[in-house]
Amino acid sequence: MISNDFKDGLIREIPNLRAFAASLSGSIQLADDLVQDTLLKAWGNSEKFEPGTSLRAWLFTILRNTYYSLYRKRGREVQDSEGTYAERMATQGNQESHLDLADFRKALAKLPEEQREVLIMVGATGLSYEEAADICGVAIGTIKSRVNRARTKLAELLSIGSVDDLSPDRTSTAAIQRARSETVGF
Amino acid sequence: MTNLEAAMADPGGDNDDFDMVLDPKVQESIGRSLKAHYDDIVNAPVPDKFLVLLAQLEATEQRAAGASPDDLK
Repeated sequence: MISNDFKDGLIREIPNLRAFAASLSGSIQLADDLVQDTLLKAWGNSEKFEPGTSLRAWLFTILRNTYYSLYRKRGREVQDSEGTYAERMATQGNQESHLDLADFRKALAKLPEEQREVLIMVGATGLSYEEAADICGVAIGTIKSRVNRARTKLAELLSIGSVDDLSPDRTSTAAIQRARSETVGF
Repeated sequence: MTNLEAAMADPGGDNDDFDMVLDPKVQESIGRSLKAHYDDIVNAPVPDKFLVLLAQLEATEQRAAGASPDDLK
């Protein structure tokens, strides 16, 4: 018999599951299908969840495995035909932050999956490096290096290699960054 | 300081993964954008279909648990 605690836990985690699924698949429609599959699997395997451990980490593991086994190809097809959700998703907030967010999402979508998923887990979901390592089935050191590479790549894509580049001028910043690091030596 | 921060603060490391050192303010900016992206979806209204699905699963389970062998024809 499934406890009310378990069911309430599932309901509480739905917004996080959607956000993680959208980050993985690049599509909010696919994300909702993915969340639905995840909830069904979680319900059917509820006896495998150990009370007292992180329900979020457990659900993310299911969602991630489902994505890689069933959704990855579909994700690419949807992105090819419709563009990523970065271009389509309605967002709240003022116009300026909306534009920033859209730019950021386009850059995020360009990261390799293995880097994107860990950056989201560690940087946005509140999961620890250890939990991320468990979910991905790799060592903590691997998670750390993926996070680091993901940040570096994002900075490059967004042309914010240094503080000065946080200004809107995006042209030739990469070249400037390269020249500056050679000159100053860092 | 976490291991990651220590590694990132060490520009002379010979580890290829850490060859580019990000300014802490750049890291902060990326961190804020990550949260903005994620929280934007977390805070979006949840489609009813998920709650409907869970209610259906629960109802199915209760029916199965409440049904005695005689009820199953």
